[in-house]
Amino acid sequence: MADIDFMFTRVRDSEKRSLRSLRLIAATFTLCAIIFAFVAFALDDTFYLRLASEALILAGMAISVDLLLGICGLLSLGQALFFGLGAYMSTMMLIHTTENFWLVLISVLLATIPVSLLFGWIAIRSRGVYFALITFGYAQVISRVIYNTRSLGASDGIVGVPVISVPLPFYDLSLNNPIGFFLFMLALVLLIVLALWWILDTPFGRVFSAMRVNEDRLPFLGYNVRGYMLFMYVLAAVIASVFGALYPMLRGFVSPELMFFEMSGNALIMVILGGVGTVIGPVLGAIILVTLKSVIGSFTEHHLIVIGGIFIVLVLFFPKGMVGYLRLHLEKFLTRSKKAERS
Amino acid sequence: MESVLQYIQFVLASQMLNGLAIGAAVIMMALGLTIIFGLLDVINMAHGEFYAVGGFILMVMLGLGFDFWVCIALVPVLMLPVGYLIERTLIQPIFHKGDRHILTLLLTFGISIILQDLLKIIFGPNPLRPDNPLPGGSEIFGIFLPNYRLFLIAAGAVIVGAVWGLVYKTSLGAMIRAAAFDKDMAGSLGVPVKRIYAGTFAFGIALAGLSGVLLAPIYTVFPTMGHDFILIAFTVVIVGGLGSITGAVLAGILLTQVQAISSLYISPVWSEPLIFAIMVLVLVLKPQGLFGKFGNG
Repeated sequence: MADIDFMFTRVRDSEKRSLRSLRLIAATFTLCAIIFAFVAFALDDTFYLRLASEALILAGMAISVDLLLGICGLLSLGQALFFGLGAYMSTMMLIHTTENFWLVLISVLLATIPVSLLFGWIAIRSRGVYFALITFGYAQVISRVIYNTRSLGASDGIVGVPVISVPLPFYDLSLNNPIGFFLFMLALVLLIVLALWWILDTPFGRVFSAMRVNEDRLPFLGYNVRGYMLFMYVLAAVIASVFGALYPMLRGFVSPELMFFEMSGNALIMVILGGVGTVIGPVLGAIILVTLKSVIGSFTEHHLIVIGGIFIVLVLFFPKGMVGYLRLHLEKFLTRSKKAERS
Repeated sequence: MESVLQYIQFVLASQMLNGLAIGAAVIMMALGLTIIFGLLDVINMAHGEFYAVGGFILMVMLGLGFDFWVCIALVPVLMLPVGYLIERTLIQPIFHKGDRHILTLLLTFGISIILQDLLKIIFGPNPLRPDNPLPGGSEIFGIFLPNYRLFLIAAGAVIVGAVWGLVYKTSLGAMIRAAAFDKDMAGSLGVPVKRIYAGTFAFGIALAGLSGVLLAPIYTVFPTMGHDFILIAFTVVIVGGLGSITGAVLAGILLTQVQAISSLYISPVWSEPLIFAIMVLVLVLKPQGLFGKFGNG
């Protein structure tokens, strides 16, 4: 018994260390983001604040890809589908029904659940490459249909989304205000990251780590693996669609390109760049990718070669991504300082 | 009665023959995909880009004064070393890691991004069209069909036959099948497994390039030309069973016929969702596809 207790404490210890290093990374990121916001505000900048807000919106979609890939081991090649669905629904609602921010967000959230339940139920029956290709097909087919539907703007998309404000408890935040939008996005992304970390650390969430270690054994212990995966699929879809709903509020338009493979592929690059299975990694990945694109884009329009090259190098040599490597070093550092304290 | 017959002859049959020409094209794409998956377990996301590369090499060679018929033979040969090198330098290093399905998929995705941009830089985004090498048309059973489409159907049949013969009737094919079934056992019996892997990948790439050449006169050549075909090629491969040659051929014919016939009655926009629905149905009822991998059985 003592042995098991000892092993349990050791495992728990190392997990705590790893979580602590992730928190450290997240805290540093938040600090940098707030400093950036202040500097941009002081310099009266709009362009970079809006670009950063867009990066955070894309980060939301990257988080949802990471939930499937890093937590469940399911590679989705069509997460842009839900991002686009959210974007189209919010656009249609803002133009035709209501300009109430929370009403739009909650409707998008509620509408995504049944759709993703159906799509997920079908897709999760298969694994590995089959899952990847089915999700690829979903996005491809539905974007093609929207591309050819006149009433949804067809290939042109829809422009003229009204600028609205978000009624917060003490303050009416106008989304026209770039720094307000940026800080709002930052808060939302951080809230989601913290909530996901919390969920993954509950007994419910720990089933997912068990699933990654030995999926075949879980059913014998009485767990319904498919049910857990379906839950994650729906959760990921909801996150993607909510951030999708925010996109037209920032840019004022939607187009079928939002559902194209380029979007899903971008999210995947962000996840690999930042670090699979860390939740905060994709956020950093999104920031890096957007920065990279705008920096290289100012020299040449062919930035894809550089990004593709970086991507291949990462897959070949650094499959854990940036956060994965930072975390390794931070953990070592944290253990060393602990030992120093003791002695 | 008369009008029903006429309908069958002039509407249905010609639509089906046209569908068969597209089917031949789709099958050529799907064959490369399924062979690469059957042996290496790699989903080649860059297949559509290699298809485009084949088309562009054709345009360059036509510009240099080569004959179209010479290019059909030469382009696949030129693509072979490219595929061989990519397999040896990029895919081989991560081939033995645990989650190689996902890693190799990501890797080929990276290759597709680079190739697409490279083609855009060299050739520009506008479509190029080679002259039709077989202008005019012929009448078969009272149905008028462009000559080149007839040639495409024939070429498709020849290529399928050749691939089938290579895999099932030669000793090289036996080695490939053995390596797909059990690579360690095949290796210990003296099959050069690594070279077989690289060679098979190169062969799949060459098939993609060949389809690029054959389809260029009909669909024009542009950097993202693979996008229009890749979804249906994937669908065909999944319905037929990943890694099955028979499956790819039968599913290719079946699905393109469904597409051709259904577009008579519903808007062509919806024929793609229809085919995708068939794929989903097959996956729900028989998740491994209609036929098994070629190494097995």
